[in-house]
Amino acid sequence: MADNPLHQPSSGRLMPGFILSMAMLASFLHVAHAGAEEPALRTQIDRLIAMQTADFDKLAAPVADDAEFLRRVTLDLTGTIPTSTVARAFLADQNPQKREQLVDKLLASPEYARHMQRQFDVALMRRLPQKHVPVAEWEKFLRESFAANKPWDLIVRAILSSDGSDPANRGPARFYLDRDGDPHVITKDVAKLFLGVNFECTQCHDHPQIEDYRQEHYYGVSAFFVRSFVMTDKEKRVVFAEKADGEVTYESVFEIRDKISKGPKSTLPKFIEASAITEPKFNKPEEGYVVKPDDKDKELRPIPRFSRRAKFAEFLASAENRRFCRSSVNRVWALLLGRGLIHPLDLDHAENPPSHPLLLAHLADQFAAHKLDLKWLLKEITLSQTYQRSSRSANAEINPSDATFARALLKPLSPAQFAWTVMQASGEVDAHRIGMGDQATEQALYDKLIGYENRFVQLFGGEPGKPPITFEATADQTLFLSNDPAITFMVKPKSGNTADRLQKLPPDNIPAIAEELFLSTLTRLPTADDVADVQSALAGATGETRTAILYELVWAAISSAEFRFNH
Amino acid sequence: MRCQYACGSDAHFSRRGFLQTGAGALGALGFSGMTAVSGAEQLASQQKQVVVFWLSGGVSQLETWDPKPGTDTGGPFLSIPTSVPGIEICELLPHTAKQAHHLSLVRGVNTAEDDHGKGAYIMLHGHRQTPGFEYPQLGSAFASLLTAPENPLPGYIHVNGGGSPSEASFLGPQFAPIGLAGGKPPANLALPDGITVDNDRRRRELRAKLSGRFATGRRQSETEAYNASYDQAASLLARKDVFDFSKITDADRERYGKHEFAQHCLMARQLVENGVTFTKVTHTNYDTHSENFNFHIEQLGEFDRPFAAFIQDLADRGRLAHTLVIVMCEFGRTPRINHLVGRDHWSKAWSIAVAGCGIKGGTVVGKTNANGTEVIDREVNGGHLFHTYYRAVGLDPTKAFWHEGRPFNKADPKTDSIHEILA
Repeated sequence: MADNPLHQPSSGRLMPGFILSMAMLASFLHVAHAGAEEPALRTQIDRLIAMQTADFDKLAAPVADDAEFLRRVTLDLTGTIPTSTVARAFLADQNPQKREQLVDKLLASPEYARHMQRQFDVALMRRLPQKHVPVAEWEKFLRESFAANKPWDLIVRAILSSDGSDPANRGPARFYLDRDGDPHVITKDVAKLFLGVNFECTQCHDHPQIEDYRQEHYYGVSAFFVRSFVMTDKEKRVVFAEKADGEVTYESVFEIRDKISKGPKSTLPKFIEASAITEPKFNKPEEGYVVKPDDKDKELRPIPRFSRRAKFAEFLASAENRRFCRSSVNRVWALLLGRGLIHPLDLDHAENPPSHPLLLAHLADQFAAHKLDLKWLLKEITLSQTYQRSSRSANAEINPSDATFARALLKPLSPAQFAWTVMQASGEVDAHRIGMGDQATEQALYDKLIGYENRFVQLFGGEPGKPPITFEATADQTLFLSNDPAITFMVKPKSGNTADRLQKLPPDNIPAIAEELFLSTLTRLPTADDVADVQSALAGATGETRTAILYELVWAAISSAEFRFNH
Repeated sequence: MRCQYACGSDAHFSRRGFLQTGAGALGALGFSGMTAVSGAEQLASQQKQVVVFWLSGGVSQLETWDPKPGTDTGGPFLSIPTSVPGIEICELLPHTAKQAHHLSLVRGVNTAEDDHGKGAYIMLHGHRQTPGFEYPQLGSAFASLLTAPENPLPGYIHVNGGGSPSEASFLGPQFAPIGLAGGKPPANLALPDGITVDNDRRRRELRAKLSGRFATGRRQSETEAYNASYDQAASLLARKDVFDFSKITDADRERYGKHEFAQHCLMARQLVENGVTFTKVTHTNYDTHSENFNFHIEQLGEFDRPFAAFIQDLADRGRLAHTLVIVMCEFGRTPRINHLVGRDHWSKAWSIAVAGCGIKGGTVVGKTNANGTEVIDREVNGGHLFHTYYRAVGLDPTKAFWHEGRPFNKADPKTDSIHEILA
């Protein structure tokens, strides 16, 4: 297949953001005409990963066993681990399609929508405090969008075109309003989140180290927001309004310092390397308004005939915006694989090329061709062998570098994942589920247990959407896990929890106790060594001593390194 | 919005290039590895400690370090002689006056920021806040640079205050402050009810076994960091006496005073003596928009005696020589006395005091005019102060922190240290 777009040599420079790339066009055609003949994306992922690294087969870890896969994919798609009952059934299932069936089931669950809501809330809002929009409304918007599998471009467009004026739908306006509409903050965040560009230095001058990042680019994006401002309207609602005039001006502080500046410059709105958008000209300023601003009526929200911000939402969040598609698939890839193809996620530029350029291009093309269908993308990636590789190499001599994706990385659990995984492993969730009977919906359990999640978030912080450069663990976190009454309360035997189940198994049936312990906490069957540990821990113990040892066993599993990571 | 010049480094950055040339060890450390100072410099400075007395709300320079008695702005208080001939401070600080030979008064501070939050930011970060640059606070920075790796204690403790992980920024949560709100020890230092020392030992042994088996054949930098935090917690638990303030003697309590701030000063002394790198003690509240003089009698009446005793004790025990002490706040107070007999926010001409490690005691630098409305000699801002703090503890402030390929200056490169007061 000589014209296979995947064989196109990479130019090494950035592709212009707005040109429908040849690769993408070809993919569209391919989907339209060849249909079933196109190899599934999951297969292409594996091929493109393997071809990037010499001797890949020697480096590659084996495909994870069912238990490792079950734990990993459940954590990645729903933010928690399965119960021992689910784990036992999955391990026993003989159906060769069971991994695909599992992924389908997880993607259809309410836990999926909640988990995606959390992941993207933190990525998009950086845990900024609530200001003008209730966090719950924003979370509901996200959760419902993910539950309905709304195309990613439409989700982003809804956020970026929301101004908060519709009282029934203020949730998505949180993105702008809780940043107080600050054009600099918005410019930097939209560039980071949706264009893969870190604009930090470029507010004041061209980036001194990254040739591709220019001050002109910064102000091109900033120009979309320079006319916008936060105001309180007649209904006493804080909204993000926009004027019909106002331009950006900028000057390099280096040029000012070196006395070579030719004075302030301006630019029309544009996306990085694309040409400026065209906008209508009005003879008189007031012609530019549907609703004119009124100096005497500060609560009157002006409405321009031409909204730069609306153009931004329209052009940015679109399958035709190459940068948007690239950075979106890169983010999803990083969530699942623990590292972006472009790494860090916001340094997409010529001197920091993707580890697998052909794969990134193909993912972006295919995501666009599939109408930015997130569930489809998640399914294809999770069903690839690349995603399913074990985090353990066949032998200790093999130590592939992270960027080869030849072995699964250890992903530290996000604070919310950690909270829910501790609650599931200890059996706190089970105990509540039993207690609530028919009422034990995802929402009801969430409402009941959110307090624990909040404590973990407070203590473990961080941004789950952003893969950490190094994993860090602190003594106060560890002291919390070791000694806090909340943890002890969950782990100690009580009706319906994990230690309670262990206590009720026949005391002399050590293999059964070990199996229930390991399936409940680490989602795997115990090894011979594990069984021996359980055996020697429980040997001869009765009554209260035995109860204390059961607590020790569950605690040891929950606090182990194996538990702390999605591996 | 003022611009951040931090990114003007000549060093060409390419992460990929760095990781390739940086080889395995640095690669595994990631960029936090680049924040490390050179080995020798670090070793030499690891004996150094820092204590900040944060006089929240903004203490008046006129009622403390730079009195102007007999002028239109001076207020009712006199100035008194100190242990250093020629240096006078306000009469509200009689005990502190006797320690003046340990102190250096910086009287030409101009931070040009009269907002509480923004002023505090400058004083605790050394420059203005710049969107997108999340600098670590002084406490986290020094905790990361000065704490020896084998020190089991937290590097940054805030007495009478909280602790937000965001203060550490990219340095990581292990350098975030541990807050001793109301002087209480950190949470979870006691084993859970019904868990004996034996239970605890056994559960830890089990976790270590499980974690060891998991690590085989996997990438180990993360699992090692995680396991290390359990060792760290165990050492902290073993040293929880550091936070047991019940052993402070009655004689000390008598000498320092019975009020809260006096107790907090004694706690700070205990933390310093046990090797905590950075201790911050907050004394509140000096925001005296009305009744400035009555409030200062009351507030400084609390501050003076225990602070002076603290300096004296550190000096007597030989600790002051390697402990830098800083008395500061977000800004000073207006020379003009308002109609409520108050003084408002004032950042144009105010003072701080420093003492101890690397500081020449018994000195004054900077001068304001006769009624304190302007700096007329040796004006300094947050940048100068940060250069000075770093130099005082033997660190090079011109070596930036690096994070995600960007340099973060420790102190504003447009300024330099106040060399006159450095020992």
